[in-house]
Amino acid sequence: MRSALIVLMLMICSAPAAIAQTLQPILQTHAAEISKPSRRSVGETLDAITRSSLPQATAFLEQWSEKNIWQRDDGVFFLGVADGNTLALTDIDTQATSSAPKANYKQLKPNGGVRRLIGTALVQFQLIDPDLPRRETAVASIARRPEAAQLAPLLASIAAETDPALKVRKTQLANFLSARFADEPADRIAAINSLATDTSVESRAVLNQILLVKPGVARTQPDGNIAAIHDPMDAPDAYYTALINEDLAPAKQTTADMKRTLKSNIVDGRIAGFALAQMNDLETRKAAYAALATDGLVPVLITEDLRDASLNNHVFYDLYDEPNAEITAAAHRVLGTVTSRVATAQVADLTLDALSLASIFFLAAIGLAITFGVMGVINMAHGEFIMMGAYTGYVVQLFVPNYTVSLIIALPLAFAVTFGAGVVMERLVIRRLYHRPLETLLATFGISIALQQIAKNIFGTQARPLTSPDWLAGAWVFNDVIQISYIRIAIFVLALMFLGLIIYILKRTRLGLEVRAVTQNPGMASSMGIDPDRINMMTFGLGSGIAGIAGVAIGLYAKVTSEMGSDYIVQSFMTVVVGGVGNVWGTLAGAAMIGFGQKGIEWLNPSNTLAAQTYMIFFVILFIQFRPKGIVAQKGRAAGD
Amino acid sequence: MKNTFIAKNPSVLWFMLGLSLFTVIVSICSEAAGTALISTSFLKTLGKTLCLCLVAVAMDVAWGYCGILSLGHFAFFGIGGYAIGMWLMYDRTKNIVVSSLESNILPATPEEITDAIGSQIFGVVGSSDFPLIWAFSHSLTLQLLAVVLVPGLLALVFGWFAFRSRVAGVYLSILTQAMTLALSLYLFQNDTGLRGNNGLSGLQNIPGLEAVSQATLSLWFFWASALALAAGYLLFAWMTSGKFGSVIRAIRDNEARVRFLGYHVESYKLFIFTVTAMVAGVAGALYYPQAGIINPAEIAPIASIYLAVWVAIGGRGRLYGAVIGAAVVSLMSSWFTGGSAPDINLGVYVVKWTDWWLVLLGLTFVAVTLFFPKGIGGLFDLLPRKGERT
Repeated sequence: MRSALIVLMLMICSAPAAIAQTLQPILQTHAAEISKPSRRSVGETLDAITRSSLPQATAFLEQWSEKNIWQRDDGVFFLGVADGNTLALTDIDTQATSSAPKANYKQLKPNGGVRRLIGTALVQFQLIDPDLPRRETAVASIARRPEAAQLAPLLASIAAETDPALKVRKTQLANFLSARFADEPADRIAAINSLATDTSVESRAVLNQILLVKPGVARTQPDGNIAAIHDPMDAPDAYYTALINEDLAPAKQTTADMKRTLKSNIVDGRIAGFALAQMNDLETRKAAYAALATDGLVPVLITEDLRDASLNNHVFYDLYDEPNAEITAAAHRVLGTVTSRVATAQVADLTLDALSLASIFFLAAIGLAITFGVMGVINMAHGEFIMMGAYTGYVVQLFVPNYTVSLIIALPLAFAVTFGAGVVMERLVIRRLYHRPLETLLATFGISIALQQIAKNIFGTQARPLTSPDWLAGAWVFNDVIQISYIRIAIFVLALMFLGLIIYILKRTRLGLEVRAVTQNPGMASSMGIDPDRINMMTFGLGSGIAGIAGVAIGLYAKVTSEMGSDYIVQSFMTVVVGGVGNVWGTLAGAAMIGFGQKGIEWLNPSNTLAAQTYMIFFVILFIQFRPKGIVAQKGRAAGD
Repeated sequence: MKNTFIAKNPSVLWFMLGLSLFTVIVSICSEAAGTALISTSFLKTLGKTLCLCLVAVAMDVAWGYCGILSLGHFAFFGIGGYAIGMWLMYDRTKNIVVSSLESNILPATPEEITDAIGSQIFGVVGSSDFPLIWAFSHSLTLQLLAVVLVPGLLALVFGWFAFRSRVAGVYLSILTQAMTLALSLYLFQNDTGLRGNNGLSGLQNIPGLEAVSQATLSLWFFWASALALAAGYLLFAWMTSGKFGSVIRAIRDNEARVRFLGYHVESYKLFIFTVTAMVAGVAGALYYPQAGIINPAEIAPIASIYLAVWVAIGGRGRLYGAVIGAAVVSLMSSWFTGGSAPDINLGVYVVKWTDWWLVLLGLTFVAVTLFFPKGIGGLFDLLPRKGERT
């Protein structure tokens, strides 16, 4: 609508210059070419249309390319939309609408090559179109399929660009185009050098385009911009295949070929004198084949010596598509700089990944750091508390559709639910087993099995979504290499908050003092008027409640299933044990070590998370052999042994 | 000597009698004997249960007698299964490949046979080369050795590290659980050479015994399992009686005191850990040919936890307790989760046992731990003893 208005205004403004107000005459001059365009000759027509500088020219070209132009019997062109047997027609110049039977009109269907040329011609209009989205579309289309012809219009449009962001983008794109297509080598080299600071995928693609090579083989080294000469002995078979493909050497017989040839040369149940029964050995087969070759019945077997001899008679090289050696050298150098920058950025990205993994481990383990680390209670149902927290978040979302509000409700509710569950469990089971740690482990296993199955019965086996609010969706993109999703940042912040909270509770509050007193010496603590039962109950509840909140956070980034707890339980215990039992800082260190270690192994062997987990566990097992008390070992009386 | 051993351990005699009676009855009722009172699939279940009893006995010796709550014995069980499974799968595939290549005009070369076997076995994980760990898979003898040696060696190395640095109690449990998790994650990978999560399959077909029907074969395996259980029971009964038994029980009750008395506690623990792991491997090697398939999920940490559950419910610290626990719980598990248990209609809610069995099992386990630490086996203490009758 807006663009139509602008077109209208432009038409009114340009009314005095009435020499070439209408496009139709120009079209009629080139009617033959327009109705049956060919890629080779359409350029002149396009030039004529663009040279008219008429506002309706853009619309015409667009519609032509979209196959919406129809030609009447008398040769006049219309914009038309077919509807059954009738056509809704629009006059190209006056925009007057009408309708007519389809039979008298012929649809213009330019082929792909022509449409591409139309697109290129259009770009120069679109690049200076007053409408910002259209300019952006034009720039995006250039970026998608860069061509030499687009460079001049793009450069011309930069000066007049009003939108600052688009201007930057246009300049960047012009740089890419000049690097590949500018006429003067000096311009190209300058453009290439300016890419050295750009680590985007696009800029690397441009450099790689310039550095495209074609592998080739010849008897002598050819002239041209040679990228590399290969030593065929590095991979003799592969290079020999290249020779065969170039018809420079006879095909090599595979064992299957040899078998086929032998089979077709069976004479009276024997092959070249060898009995068939002897053919169950590769050496005999070769001998039989050699005998056949001596008789001239089959081509000579290409042995390794023969293969190497013909390989050594040839030069294997890579030839740049780009003939100018200076340009490829510049591109090569710049690509080296860019690659090392990208590597640095990748290390930074990996660090961020590791940090977020570590904070997930920390979050999953921090509840355990209290129940296991401080109280010494092995709670194998800890993972199920995480699961309960996540399901609490899911249930809240069923009732509260606003994700932000539901998250605000879910966090304290998850704490309350798992705090309650923890207190009940402590009173019913764990209290009876304080002096039998192995039995605690077993009893909590039993609870874990039961809780998992109950969750499965209530919520089913399929994963339930816990959707994060919009402001947590998406990722913080630093550049093409470094990016991190907001949810991971949120988990990191949450982990930090918990660390602060736990340290504060344990070190600065009355409860923390009593907890530490009870864990160090329950008898003495109770003689000082502290109720150890109450403190143990509260502490266990606190640890469980934090597991619940961790569950909500983990559920936001992973799926909520009844088995999610068991995914974290072993790792959580490892985190606490590696870090050093009885110390929250130790848990932080443990989480950091496991998170960074796992990401590090993943980096050495990408695309294999399972292997990274496996080797990390082996590493942790070994680590505990050499530092059984963990990274931050407790000393003195608190160590308890 | 033998006389005194039996006299000191009357339960061994009763157990042997019971097991023999059970074996004889099952044999008579089996399809192979003609009566077919027990279906072949149930016979296999019974045979598998005997193997589970054997690994439970091993677990009981480690945990109930020596106090090592290992959460890795089912991993050793699985390793045994994988070791025998490799030979079964290799040899059976070889027979198939050789017979299919026989129709070729040119007799196949050894290389062609190996390639064909490789692509048959490893096709599912997109490979056809034999990984290094299959190096001995052509030899039954070597793989049978591996059944015992690989779990033994793993337990020896792991135990040596763990016991040397005085990792004990719950820490050891967590560490063994981590080992089990690492092992199952390792086996889950496609490129580690054991067919990833496809596992090894077709193990119920024994190469060279194609002519024997499954009914007969499963009876043979049942006998072998019963024999292995009897042998394992005798071995452990002998080990846990006498002075050696006293020492390991003392380690369970007070490790520090035993150490101060001059015993090298670590060696005792390492010995128990390794021997029980080897027996677990044997049990696994007998179990999986009856199950027909083994995959990494079998080794997951939860399996080893169930093993501990069986022993605890059966009653730890007595060998027949472990057998009772494993037999009762695993048979009940397959009965309840198999869908043959009747649902309970409470009016407002229908309790489906397939859904609620695990809840019941978990809570029973908690109750047993809290209130009946002696488990089912503890009931035998209530029987009047000969000496006490007067």
